[in-house]
Amino acid sequence: MVYAEYAWLIPILPIIGLLLVALLGKKTPEGGGYFAVGGIAASCFLGVMVALEYLTGGSSEPVSGTMTWLQLNSTLKLEMGYYIDSLSAVMLIVVTILCTLILVYSLGYMHEEGERKRRYYVEISLFVVGMEGLVVASNYLEMFVFWEIMGLCSYLLIGFWYYKPSAAAAAKKAFLVTRIGDILFMIGIISIFASFGTLNYRDLFTHNFIAQPVDMTLLGVGLFCVFGGAVGKSAQFPLHDWLPDAMEGPTTVSALIHAATMVKAGVYLVARSFPLMVHTPDVLLIVAAIGGFTALFAATMALNNPNIKRVLAYSTISQLGYMFLALGAGGYMIATANLSEAAAEMGNAGYMAGMFHLLNHAFFKALLFLSAGAVIHAVHTEDMRLMGGLSKKLKITSFVMLIGALSIAGIPPLSGFWSKDEVLAAVYNAGSANIWFYLLYIMGIVTAFLTAFYMFRLWFMTFKGEGKEATQHAHEAPRSMTVPLIILAIFAFGTGFILMGPDGGLPAVIRTVNLDGHLIAGETLGLGWIEKLFTEWQTWLSIVVAFSGVGLAYMAYFKKSISVDRFATGGSKKVYDLLLARYGFPRAYDWVGMKVVYGFSRAIDFFDRTVIDGVVNVISRFAVSGSGVLRKVQTGVVQTYAIVIVSALSVILILMYLLGGLR
Amino acid sequence: MIPQEYFLALASILFVIGAYGVLTRKNAIVVLMCIELMLNAANINFVTFAAFRNDPTGQVFALFSIAIAAAEVAVGLAILLNLQKTQDTINLEDIKLLRW
Repeated sequence: MVYAEYAWLIPILPIIGLLLVALLGKKTPEGGGYFAVGGIAASCFLGVMVALEYLTGGSSEPVSGTMTWLQLNSTLKLEMGYYIDSLSAVMLIVVTILCTLILVYSLGYMHEEGERKRRYYVEISLFVVGMEGLVVASNYLEMFVFWEIMGLCSYLLIGFWYYKPSAAAAAKKAFLVTRIGDILFMIGIISIFASFGTLNYRDLFTHNFIAQPVDMTLLGVGLFCVFGGAVGKSAQFPLHDWLPDAMEGPTTVSALIHAATMVKAGVYLVARSFPLMVHTPDVLLIVAAIGGFTALFAATMALNNPNIKRVLAYSTISQLGYMFLALGAGGYMIATANLSEAAAEMGNAGYMAGMFHLLNHAFFKALLFLSAGAVIHAVHTEDMRLMGGLSKKLKITSFVMLIGALSIAGIPPLSGFWSKDEVLAAVYNAGSANIWFYLLYIMGIVTAFLTAFYMFRLWFMTFKGEGKEATQHAHEAPRSMTVPLIILAIFAFGTGFILMGPDGGLPAVIRTVNLDGHLIAGETLGLGWIEKLFTEWQTWLSIVVAFSGVGLAYMAYFKKSISVDRFATGGSKKVYDLLLARYGFPRAYDWVGMKVVYGFSRAIDFFDRTVIDGVVNVISRFAVSGSGVLRKVQTGVVQTYAIVIVSALSVILILMYLLGGLR
Repeated sequence: MIPQEYFLALASILFVIGAYGVLTRKNAIVVLMCIELMLNAANINFVTFAAFRNDPTGQVFALFSIAIAAAEVAVGLAILLNLQKTQDTINLEDIKLLRW
């Protein structure tokens, strides 16, 4: 292990870049952007080397190193350090590569920002620090620290154009909504600490539940709260509404939040807690149900939104729902497997599918966002109704975005197809353990159809049809933007194929959880598995669904043989408006904020002003009036004091004489 | 030989007269003089016990006491002088700046 020992350096390197930007940014070109890119590229190199070394090392033992942070008493202590296992190794690859590509793209995209560039590069470097630290952290508390750093940076970056009221409001909303999740996460951490007396992954994941039983109710509540943290960070129902608003930030920030960092942190958290969660099937059922519902729920809102970035935002929420669905289904299978090898194997497949989808989604969603950024860069609007016919002017962008759209729609053989199919298969298999998973499977299939439809609606509206006024002067983006796009397109096209790599490829390495919640080595999937995949009816169903979604979008937005306008009028107008109003969620948030929270605060305020202040006032009034009486004693005349002293002394002496003290 | 009680009675009478003066007179100079009386009552006690117990320590103390009383009078008169300058009075009932 040459590199793994230096894993703790991965989040440190961008900090060095950050400091250089802050100190020298004014005097260097691009506001010091090259320092930020350099720092993140260095951590990318180290991160990829650490991950490859670990994944090819053949050992399934996690590599970790810790130092004491706080010694609470003789036995309890909090530590800091790094923890590399197959999960964090895969996350490292995804996060560091994507962050580097997005930063390179930023050099072109943020070129015209002027003085504010320095602030941008400092904040985005800190953002990357947060994500990388979160991935390599060795315990929950350390993870929480980086989790909060990321929360702060998301606030700063979403509100980057803070002079726009909408951006300032979006930043505030993102911060406050994710805060609800953060509080839950904190409660979860405390519960885990109360259950096990440690927060270190190394100790938690090797905990022997038979030798040292823990309070399962407390653990269940704790893990539910941990999932609550993931819900906030990953924008799942009902804390999803901040993510579409977060589109107010620069597109590079959106890409970073959606593809590599922030929302992936929530999924990572659940995957990280997986060895604990397999002991609490109820929590996993909730995870799957929230994920499945969110997937469908968010997909419907993407159907008619005219804003190119918001459609992508809803698709992110929807795809994250898939990941939670897969994790929940897989974990539920393991939790209820009753030591059956086959069921546990299927459960492992669910875990693998969730992480595999995370990896694929990271690449194709970064591609889609950065392509959307290139489009916005060219036409200076985000409204798709003002776009059209751009494929002639933005040849590279339209082509790479087509790859991204095909991938997310689940058209074989692009990456999205493999992982989405794995997810759905895992959910279908979990149906044998609990009937509700069949319902979630149906929701997943419907979501797949909707995804294919709205992605191609987006693509056709943007790149096909007739050019509009806004598209007259469109031109292709500079090379620092197109090169990352092409690299990402290759990833988005190809990451599915690692499934067929040696020894079952990367996803097989991710499958780590066995029945006891201990870590085991990956097993070989082999090519026979692919053959099996294409003989199952579920696979063909998802392919047919994906193609029909694309076909419907083609008919409606390219051939125009189906009029979409009539959905916006007449009987279905209500549904149309409901979707545009995001099911009234922003208003519900405002209502909760204004009526419930503000009303509660008013009640507290009333209590504070009358009861608390009242008691304090009575006490102080008593003291004031009492002192008004007592101060009359202080006459200021020397002789009065002298009389008091003399008479008191006399009394004392007489008493001493009478009581026999003067003998 | 005059008995010891006579000396002690004289000292007590002197002390009480002094104390009465301190507590009742309004003129600060008179109060200062009364304090001298009380001090001298104490001195009489010192020398009385020294003589009756054949112990010279009491006489030494009386000498110290007289010396310190001289210093005290000097300081006290200086204070009274300043009082007269700033407050225009040495009547103790009028000097009550430190009350509520």
